[in-house]
Amino acid sequence: MQKYAYILILANILASGLRCVRETDIQLPDEPAKIVALSHFTIGEPVRVEVSLSQTLTDAGDPEIPFNADVSISVDGKFLDKLFRVTGDGGRIYWESRDLVVPKTEYTLAVRIAGLEPVAAHSSAPEPVEIAEVRIDTAKMRVVDLADGRLALRVPLQIRIKNLPAEKRYFAFSLQHEIEIFEVINGQPVPDEYYEASTKFLADGRTLALVYDTPEKVVLVNENFWSDERDLLNLDALIPFDPAYEKPRRLFVDWRTLSDAFYRYHLSLARQGNNFPLNDPDALFNNIEGGYGNFSGYSVSGDTVGIPEF
Amino acid sequence: MTTERLERFRLVSNGTLPEVLVTATPALEDPIKRDESRQNLPASAMPSVPMPGGEADLLRLAALQPGVQTGVDGLGGLHVRGGNADQNLILLDDVPVYNPNHALGLLSVFNPATINHARLWKGDFPARYGGRASSVLDVRTRDGHFRDYHADLSVGLFAASATLEGPLLYDTSSFLLSARTTYFGPWIDFLNKRDNLITFSGDKAAYRFYDINLKLNYIFSGKNRVYFSYYQGGDVFKNKFEQRFDDREGSATDQYDLDSDWGNAIAAIRWNHLLRKNLFVNSTLRFSRFYYQSRLTLLSTFLAASGKQNLLAYYGQFYQTLIQDWSGKSDFSYFPTDKLTIRWGLAYTLHTFQPGALSVNFLVPGQSPITSDSLSKVLLNNERLGADEAELYVDNEWQFWEKWHLEAGLNFSSFQIRNKGFLALQPRLRIRRSGTAGWRMWAGYHQTAQNLHQIGSFNISLPFELWVPTTAKVPPEIAWQCSAGVGLTRNGWNIQAEGYYKRLERVLTFLSSSTALFTGGAEDASGWEDRIVSGQGTGYGVEMVLEKSFRPATVSLTYTWSSATRQFDDLNSGRTFPFRFDRRHDLKIIFRQQFFRWLDANVVWSYATGNPITLSGVKFQHHTPNGDVERTVYVYTEVNGYRLPAYHRLDAALNVRFGQKKFRHLVQLGVYNAYNRANPFFLYIDSGSGANAKGIQYTLLPALPSFRYELRF
Repeated sequence: MQKYAYILILANILASGLRCVRETDIQLPDEPAKIVALSHFTIGEPVRVEVSLSQTLTDAGDPEIPFNADVSISVDGKFLDKLFRVTGDGGRIYWESRDLVVPKTEYTLAVRIAGLEPVAAHSSAPEPVEIAEVRIDTAKMRVVDLADGRLALRVPLQIRIKNLPAEKRYFAFSLQHEIEIFEVINGQPVPDEYYEASTKFLADGRTLALVYDTPEKVVLVNENFWSDERDLLNLDALIPFDPAYEKPRRLFVDWRTLSDAFYRYHLSLARQGNNFPLNDPDALFNNIEGGYGNFSGYSVSGDTVGIPEF
Repeated sequence: MTTERLERFRLVSNGTLPEVLVTATPALEDPIKRDESRQNLPASAMPSVPMPGGEADLLRLAALQPGVQTGVDGLGGLHVRGGNADQNLILLDDVPVYNPNHALGLLSVFNPATINHARLWKGDFPARYGGRASSVLDVRTRDGHFRDYHADLSVGLFAASATLEGPLLYDTSSFLLSARTTYFGPWIDFLNKRDNLITFSGDKAAYRFYDINLKLNYIFSGKNRVYFSYYQGGDVFKNKFEQRFDDREGSATDQYDLDSDWGNAIAAIRWNHLLRKNLFVNSTLRFSRFYYQSRLTLLSTFLAASGKQNLLAYYGQFYQTLIQDWSGKSDFSYFPTDKLTIRWGLAYTLHTFQPGALSVNFLVPGQSPITSDSLSKVLLNNERLGADEAELYVDNEWQFWEKWHLEAGLNFSSFQIRNKGFLALQPRLRIRRSGTAGWRMWAGYHQTAQNLHQIGSFNISLPFELWVPTTAKVPPEIAWQCSAGVGLTRNGWNIQAEGYYKRLERVLTFLSSSTALFTGGAEDASGWEDRIVSGQGTGYGVEMVLEKSFRPATVSLTYTWSSATRQFDDLNSGRTFPFRFDRRHDLKIIFRQQFFRWLDANVVWSYATGNPITLSGVKFQHHTPNGDVERTVYVYTEVNGYRLPAYHRLDAALNVRFGQKKFRHLVQLGVYNAYNRANPFFLYIDSGSGANAKGIQYTLLPALPSFRYELRF
């Protein structure tokens, strides 16, 4: 952020101060529209695929949804299922399989649209690498003040991985917390209802250098994080609450074991940064042959831990 | 005499001769004297060469050399034969300068009024310079006059300087004091008030820099001499601005406040001692420091139509980076015969690094508890790294046969950090033959190990790019280079061609990542090593020089055909991609005409292949059925896979010299980028501005008049 602002301001001083910003029709690589297929599938659920068409950079409209797309999956070269079109929440269109995903099975996705080059992709959902333990360091729990007058509970968490594999340590995770809302009746708090919310966390610099946000609302962990044979992830969960009527009760850890395609796609996405002119983005990982997007599997495990009294 | 003695004699004139006018032909060595791999950059050439604003600048003079690339309009640091900018060792009076630029590289920190001479090695540099992977630029300042007082005043469009020199003790001690500052601030203010051009509405932008040079010399005796050299320079940039977004529900306002300052400080005390008539030693104590610090805050508020004001977000960031050296060295030079020179020495440096103390406060009310106070606390707690570096070297230059010269050297270095040591042997070998009838040929090989690295991920040289040390996770950069060339000087012609192949066995880069959205922030800044990855680089090319003197005109043509690539397992899916300063063709033509003794003109035309950039041609929306967050994905298929249009420009300067013996004047009138070529600095795809997204090309320097007046007395 600071770098961007700095560069922008200094460049503007040099450029606009000298009246030399010019809007120019630049020759961009001539790329025809291609099929975009996006699917992250997991064990025990159907394969859901979102299909759209790619856009040129100067196309500021919404992407086109090809309603006539023919979407199918196969295993070992044998047709498995033709996906049917679904209109989901908010009117989103996607294609869904009837079969449920099983672990360690290589699925092949095929999407055909008349007039466009067909696309194909392969991936599987790996066996989950489980969490051995989620431990709260009770002694270091503390309540801190928020700028808006509320409080936040800071919960030191230690997430230990069971049987960390020697290679392909591709993981992502997310944290959620549960808050109990209570009423005070006759001077006593009486639980009324509960709600869940995503949980922010603090970490040391090394950890934050090796985790990346993804559009999937999970935090990707760079495999280099485990390079020194550590199997622990230390975080400080931050749970904001209003002490007048709220109390943090539980923490949920959603732990994902990722396929190679899932990991590499989101890692390259994280390294794109913004479309800032002076940034050096990485090339996008793409496993959709003939098109763009990502078809990749993952598996989910998790743990729940109760928050001790504080 | 029965023993060796050294006596100094001063020649005193005992008669008067009429004035003798000696007209030298600078021809083949001006404006840039070339001596194969070592290029002399004469200070005397600087005032004549056309530069932006008329500001003479050493690094821009160096950029006229074949094999030396800079970014667009010089704003990118020096990149020698496909190397990174940090792979150049830049010395001022034998002290490393870690940030040689002002104003993004528009000017360098070297005040022309103070420079005695400068040498640039593009390879095969002597072992005494240690381990940098690309080049050495050795700049020495003037001593100051030992007998007379002189002053030098210079006023250009961008900066002004004043220099005073003279004896402290007649013929025994001298001083040189120089100061330089810029007028960028008033320019910015003027343009801002007049046209509101600088950034956005409500700007209060200010930028300035300054340089101070001081040199003191004292001659104790014929065998002992001491000098003290000091330089301090700094840049300050401040800006406040706000952006407003209005709609029917109210008005959102983002208020930015940026305050940055950075600078170098260096000092050296050197004792020159003559041990014997053919053996002397220079012992030097050195200090060098570069720091950068900045504070950025963003206050985002929303004023509803009802009049109620809400805080939307508060973002605060403190950033600090520092590199500091204390060192001592002794360099011996021994001349046993007139055909053999042997140099040896040792050096010790204590490095201190603060590699980027980044402290972020991202506060959305009710979501993050980090308060402003924690920012400074993080800074104070940030790790400062110390490292010990020791070097031993030996160099020799030997004319072992009538026309054959051999330069051989070996540097042994030890770099200790966090109880881990890195040892390196760095050999140098160069052989040269001077043939008959003006022919000469040469070949060389050198290998280096570099333990200091500047890490950045942008296309221009920026002060906040971190200097970091070699550690267990960040390996030393290893490079080797072979080169060979041939030259002919005859009948006023100088023709030279040199080929090279450079291999960077380990080169580093910094992985950028998107801003953390779901995370709350870092507790410390210890993660810098994990953002660095190691890869490989290759550079090869042919550099040609063609010079001809047609008295009183001189033409110089330099052409470089080159290639520079990088390969990182973690980038571009492991595929090799062009280095950001890779340019296949680079041509410079320099024409100089001496009309009269008092009037000359310099014209420089430059042409280069456009720089490669990473550019996306298409995009799509990432929104899987399982995901809730929509994101636009830009399909970058190849890192640096797109070429900007070719770079070319024409500069011209007319130099008028007048005045008598006591007062000498120089007026330079010129133009930079004479035909107003819109050389692209970068391309920006503005895809978020409605239905008609635009590609915007930013051009930095259009046709600019230049003017400089110098007065010497």
